[in-house]
Amino acid sequence: MSTIDAVVSGAGGVGLAAREGRRSGRGWNVWVGLLVTGLVIGFGSFVYQWSAGLTVTGLSNTITWGLYIVAFMFLVGISAGGLIVVAGAELAGTHRFEHVNRLAVVCSVAAVATAAGTILPDLGRPQMAWKMLVQPHLTSPLVWDMAVLSLYLVIGVVDLWILTRRPVPAKSLRVMAIVSLPVAILVHSVTAWIFGLLVARPFWNTPLLAPLFISSALVSGTALVIATAAIVERLTNFVVGGAVYRGLRRLLLWFVAADAFLLFTEVMTTFVSGEPDHREQLDVLLTGRLAPVFWAEVTIGLLLPAMILVFTNTRRWIVTASVLLLAGVFAKRINILFAAEFDPLVGLAPGIPGGRPGQPFRPDEIYLPSWVELGVLTGMVAFFCTIVTIGVRYAVLPHQDEDPVLD
Amino acid sequence: MSTEPTGRVSPIEALSPASRAYGTIDVRSEHPRWGMAVDLERCVGCWSCAVICKSENAVPLGMWWNRILTDGAALDTPSSDDRGGHDLHWVPLACQHCDDAPCQKVCPTSATWTNAEGVVLVNQDDCIGCRYCMAACPYGVRVFNWGDSEYPVPEGTGMVAPRPVGSVEKCTLCVHRLAENQVPSCVWSCPAQARIFGDLEAPESRLVQMLESRNPTILLEEKGTHPKVSYLQPRRRRPLLAVAAATEIETEIDSGEGS
Repeated sequence: MSTIDAVVSGAGGVGLAAREGRRSGRGWNVWVGLLVTGLVIGFGSFVYQWSAGLTVTGLSNTITWGLYIVAFMFLVGISAGGLIVVAGAELAGTHRFEHVNRLAVVCSVAAVATAAGTILPDLGRPQMAWKMLVQPHLTSPLVWDMAVLSLYLVIGVVDLWILTRRPVPAKSLRVMAIVSLPVAILVHSVTAWIFGLLVARPFWNTPLLAPLFISSALVSGTALVIATAAIVERLTNFVVGGAVYRGLRRLLLWFVAADAFLLFTEVMTTFVSGEPDHREQLDVLLTGRLAPVFWAEVTIGLLLPAMILVFTNTRRWIVTASVLLLAGVFAKRINILFAAEFDPLVGLAPGIPGGRPGQPFRPDEIYLPSWVELGVLTGMVAFFCTIVTIGVRYAVLPHQDEDPVLD
Repeated sequence: MSTEPTGRVSPIEALSPASRAYGTIDVRSEHPRWGMAVDLERCVGCWSCAVICKSENAVPLGMWWNRILTDGAALDTPSSDDRGGHDLHWVPLACQHCDDAPCQKVCPTSATWTNAEGVVLVNQDDCIGCRYCMAACPYGVRVFNWGDSEYPVPEGTGMVAPRPVGSVEKCTLCVHRLAENQVPSCVWSCPAQARIFGDLEAPESRLVQMLESRNPTILLEEKGTHPKVSYLQPRRRRPLLAVAAATEIETEIDSGEGS
């Protein structure tokens, strides 16, 4: 029915059929159909935007970065899951998460690949992106982020290759764990420094931004592994086992605590004694136009799931809390990006020119993503899910019988 | 590149030699470093400089390299103090041509660069349109080509070539005019002569002398960007005069009603 289906079933589904369980048949076809539709919508929107210019987005000269950059930050963050479950567990000497380690790495690879892909539609001239490779300007954090993300992608793919060997080469796994840990810290830090090193944006220009990005990445990365494991468990015959959920819940509690602490100390310091510029941009979140999103992030996206994790220990509730945490971290990316953009440093009337014919000057610019941006985002989600699907089919399921399932 | 001349005749080149001399740079040292001062005492907020900038540099509709900010309660409303005095100033704002330009540091392809005379420029051939420079500029003076350019006249305006869709642009300090020893368009066109352009390395230039004799301030000094554009603060304080005038009028009205 589709190219992907053809590729997937043609390229060596040998021996899979017996183990596929609920994945074969109608549900599978519907899923592949959805993915292809999403990819077509995304690609179509991207091509349309490329030919018309970024004028078809909701962006302006005040809000120069929007949904694509929110998605980029979020995707880089959720890539942390693979590292926690593979490198973290390896270095901590636990075999508790062995059964989901391939799934976790698949999620990481998908997230990093999609994050890199999200940058292309954000460019005004995607056809010039190669210039970044041939004449990189080394003082630009964007160049470093590109380098470190590429390295991280390679590490993820190598990790996956190692984990699908039988027997798993223990020594290689350990070497990879040691190599990947600093790279992962750099991935989240350099992504934070894209924003955090700018004097023009006091809200971003805090030394706490990199630690905050790391803690949010740990939260959303772990939550993604839990949520994906639950989905794969439901849709296929993959068995995760209660021990994995309970173990990840404990980790998640620590990460949520660290994330909440860093957020609190950042907000409290700025609220009590921050520089006026910084304080004004924080006020956009506390009482200003983004207050609904910020307080939703703190209550529904942080405190509520934290309570659920503290007081419950069942699979259903752990998964629920993870989904809420993912939504909370996504809201956090929105808040971080727009708090600084909604309130430019030189805010005198009449403001910054909108940039399109007839568009007024706006000192208080608003931003809503356009249908084209939502279309591209749909494509990004489909791209992510496609990589996860292929990964699950070829790297996760074929080896699952060889892993011990702890319950 | 944006600085390429189009071969059109500039309005100033059509002027008589005597008039043209008005737009000539006064002194030029061996290695000039161009700077500008904006006299806030003289600026009346007429937008002449903003408009001629658009026509000189082929800046499309909806985009401005140079604009006039109002330092008051709102666009056309003065701020008032508790004694009933009113105050309204204008802050003409364009690229500040920082010595330590944050936009240049973050550009991933070095498309933003500073020429030997200190002018911060964008090479649109290298610009990938990531808009990182727009996030990095504390002054918000960069504009992006969101879509196809539109001009008030079909053939377009300007002495320089238009920039491609998807690239960032901003004030070039009329670098194409500097090459001909002419001041930027915003400078010669200012009816109030509020803009002073010159070589920061030439002590005898009018710019350096004004900077020494007046009280220059720079925008967002605490950000450490070291702009080459300064603002000369007004020497007279208008609020006091306004208070005096308001009191006088009130007295007159009072006494008129009494008789």
